[in-house]
Amino acid sequence: MERKFKVTYNESNVQGSVAYVLVKEFDLTPNVLKANITGDGCGFMVLSVSGDEETINKGMARVEECGYNVEPMVNHIHKEEAKCWECGACVAVCPTKSITVDKDFHIIVDYNTCIACGSCVDACSVKALRLVI
Amino acid sequence: MSKTYEEINEKIRSKKAVVYTAEEIIDVVKKKGIEKAAEEVDVVTTGTFGAMCSSGAFLNFGHASPPIRMTDIRLNDVPVDGGLAAVDTFIGATSLTEDPKKGYGGAHVIEDLIAGKPVHLHAWGPGTDCYVRKDIDTHITLDDINEAYLYNPRNCYQNYGIATNTSGRTIYTYMGKLLPRMKNATYSSAGQLSPLLNDPHLETIGMGTHIFLAGGEGYVCWQGTQFKTNVEEVNGVPIGGARTLALIGDMKQMDPKFVHGLDITGYGISLAIGVGIPIPILNKDILQRCCITDEQIYAQLTDYSLNTGRKEMARYNYAQLRSGSIEYEGKKIRTSSLSSLSGARKVAGELKSWIENGEFELIKPVLQFPKKAKLKTLTEDWL
Repeated sequence: MERKFKVTYNESNVQGSVAYVLVKEFDLTPNVLKANITGDGCGFMVLSVSGDEETINKGMARVEECGYNVEPMVNHIHKEEAKCWECGACVAVCPTKSITVDKDFHIIVDYNTCIACGSCVDACSVKALRLVI
Repeated sequence: MSKTYEEINEKIRSKKAVVYTAEEIIDVVKKKGIEKAAEEVDVVTTGTFGAMCSSGAFLNFGHASPPIRMTDIRLNDVPVDGGLAAVDTFIGATSLTEDPKKGYGGAHVIEDLIAGKPVHLHAWGPGTDCYVRKDIDTHITLDDINEAYLYNPRNCYQNYGIATNTSGRTIYTYMGKLLPRMKNATYSSAGQLSPLLNDPHLETIGMGTHIFLAGGEGYVCWQGTQFKTNVEEVNGVPIGGARTLALIGDMKQMDPKFVHGLDITGYGISLAIGVGIPIPILNKDILQRCCITDEQIYAQLTDYSLNTGRKEMARYNYAQLRSGSIEYEGKKIRTSSLSSLSGARKVAGELKSWIENGEFELIKPVLQFPKKAKLKTLTEDWL
């Protein structure tokens, strides 16, 4: 399985390697989807972690022990159904094909494969899509 | 075999009219054959729901006491026209608030009014002997004001191009967000459901045609701006923007679900409304033209990273465009629509039920639009 986490760091642990811990100690497959560090050494990364559920839980608990703040990401792309007029402008700008149209041309968002890049957000003309990280 | 408008309207009044949408009719004619279907079917309904910047609304606020001749008018901070009579205005859909970052404009004022929300009216005037007041600061709703007519100088573009971007940077256009190196392409037509692709030479659509306009009744009131006929046709329909329609309708009848103010990133404000046009099946030729399919309707791919001289790179039909990707010189380009097909289907479906229920009759146009028209361009003064 694959799960996504927001891992927040600060000047005390910004030089550590979360990915190394997950690979070396737990044989998990981490993938950094997004990361930033501000001038004061603080910031966060969006981490996708693949492996079995139990190992992912153990691995992320260990990351927390190392002083990082770990928040599982659920529904990190939010679609406001009442606003969406189903034009489809968001569909082809999604790099992971997480936004699709069904046979009736309704817009479907797959929250599991969304990598939180935000490409769809500024493609939406009614601000129906929002990145919640 | 042919029918008249009056014969069709008689069937509508007695709730016996046979009506199909422009998508449903394709299979009906395949099954029954054109002759039999032309005898049985009375009306085909079409629909479209896309962005059209050439939109707006005329309002009359009513007079205050003492009265004011408004010359500078803001609605929710959006400047609207102060060049009409004392308390009349025109809201242009693309008008913006002073702070363009708000992403709010004339189209959103129209949307808010139709949704029944109060709108802040702030207006100033010179103060004259007959209109002594110099300013007014109040709120209005659609119910409070005298008239509110949606007016589209241009809508229902017959067909439109496909946009892509060959440059190395993302560009933000009225055709949406176009990723670098042709990673995507956008298009904007309801295809086989689109009104003017089902009556491509405007045999039945003209001035006075009774239409579905954003959930209320409306009318075709003139040819649309940028109306042209000199566009190449394939399978009997143009492969690019050709004919257009000017539309008018009472905002007080409209349904907010068919009206959306749009904030198109990097471009500006536009208005999307649902428009449905009924096509009377007066004879089998008219019906035959309503059987056009997405596979038969083509559009041209052009490069929006070019500032001018965008030439056709390739052409694709709407079935290819709707499949999610097209191929250009061996490269796969992902496609997406900018107009709502699900919305267009709702429009055509709702209009169909109005007609079936005897609530909406057809009107024979009082004027046909030009059979030949071409566009002029704007040139700079020769100094």
